[in-house]
Amino acid sequence: MKPRVIEASGISKTFTIPSVRRDTVREHVLDFFRPHPSERLTVLDSVSFELRRGESLGLMGRNGGGKSTLLKIISGIYQPDRGSVTLNAAVTPILELGVGWNPDLDAIDNIELLGTVMGMTLRELRAATADILAFADLERFAKLELRHYSSGMAARLAYAVAFHAVRDVLILDEIFAVGDAGFKERCQARYRELHRSGHSMLLVSHEPRTIATFCDRALLLEGGRIVKAGPASDVADAYLALLTDPSSRDPEIEPRPQRAARR
Amino acid sequence: MISAATAGLRPGRAQYSGLVWTLIRTDFKTRYHGTVGGFVWALLKPLTMFVVLMAVFSYVFASERQYKLDLIIGLFLYEFFQESTKMGLLSLRAKGYLLNKARFPSWIVVITSASNAVITLVLFSVVLIAFLAMTGRVPSPVHVALYAVYLIHYVAIAAGFSLAASVLFMQYRDLNQVWEVISHAGFFVAPIIYPLQILPERVHAYLYLWPPTPIILFSRSVLVDGRTPSLVAHTLLTAETLVILALGALVYRLKAPRVAEHL
Repeated sequence: MKPRVIEASGISKTFTIPSVRRDTVREHVLDFFRPHPSERLTVLDSVSFELRRGESLGLMGRNGGGKSTLLKIISGIYQPDRGSVTLNAAVTPILELGVGWNPDLDAIDNIELLGTVMGMTLRELRAATADILAFADLERFAKLELRHYSSGMAARLAYAVAFHAVRDVLILDEIFAVGDAGFKERCQARYRELHRSGHSMLLVSHEPRTIATFCDRALLLEGGRIVKAGPASDVADAYLALLTDPSSRDPEIEPRPQRAARR
Repeated sequence: MISAATAGLRPGRAQYSGLVWTLIRTDFKTRYHGTVGGFVWALLKPLTMFVVLMAVFSYVFASERQYKLDLIIGLFLYEFFQESTKMGLLSLRAKGYLLNKARFPSWIVVITSASNAVITLVLFSVVLIAFLAMTGRVPSPVHVALYAVYLIHYVAIAAGFSLAASVLFMQYRDLNQVWEVISHAGFFVAPIIYPLQILPERVHAYLYLWPPTPIILFSRSVLVDGRTPSLVAHTLLTAETLVILALGALVYRLKAPRVAEHL
């Protein structure tokens, strides 16, 4: 068996519901003696899985199922409350890439910001800038400030940077949902090329066809737990069944808010 | 807990030096819109402020030379403090769009946020020393070197404050308002518009705890009066700086892993 590149064991994560969260100094001072209701939402509940070298793993689940939170924890952007993640390879996440640029800077400066954050050197980036712009089909807008970009253009640029920044494991959130047919085609071609050359992939999608086509194996995440793991096409079928089955609205597998009174 | 099992998985120093340079360059660019014209602006700001203040206190208020220089040094040094701490406090929230893209040392964002203020401070210092030289009271090289040492302390103090304030501001969304009030009040705590001697001796020690106070007084002492503060005074300044830096780093270490969750 090939070596493990990601090993996640027993990952749990809860969030405080923002509407009851105290997040100003004023609230902390003025409401000091008032009881502090805290409503917490369990997003991930003891999730364990592993990713092996060269493998392509899909992650499916309904909205609110914990997919994006899991990807953020694997990428090191969030900390798990319990459990651990062991990385044996460098991880490049492509998450929420449509949003988040410096609107006052042009594409080239933004490429340098995002690329250096993703761990590329300036030398590598400068060598790759022309390729990145070509991949995103944005050569003509290289000197245009991002404030003037459409959301589709901005997302294409982000994917282009991240695809060039990949060093070992690639983590993708809803990758093939961006851009026009031509861009999707380029993304898929690049994905296959990376997969062929031995990169490992972790891919989130709502689209059963995408998972069945691009992944070897998949996990179905529901209510913060893995309810099915196995060959990608089986998991894609299970996901479809979950969406159409009325009994799947069972509260047992909905995210469970836990009420607790805390000062 | 997230651990990288093999050394060298995280991008090394060379990569992040690219991030440091890109952050400084793009901060400068967004601030002054463009490069060549921007540099002229950055240069003109301390120069024109110096000329305006000199003119106002020479002709309008007709004050004596000593008071004039003391006041200008105090105003400029305090402005650096206000500017750098404000930018530092806001830094992580302002660059939030980078925090949820990848895992990287976010303190780089905090520290480089002071770069514009540091550039202004250095340019002002050059203008000031040039003025002193032209008016025939050039400070000795030892005193200029000591002044440079004070500035390094000053930047370290601002960095220590920023490390703590930036992560706390992610959690307490009105901290910027609180700090604005404190730093405005602090303008009158530091002996900028009044001489320290008008206050009773027993409160002097407390005033020195407010970091701009020792920096301003020592800088005036070496540049205008040509007197070197005592060894004890220097030791206390270094100790105060190290305490602030250590506390800032400690708060940052405690809070930084979870800052992305407050975005």
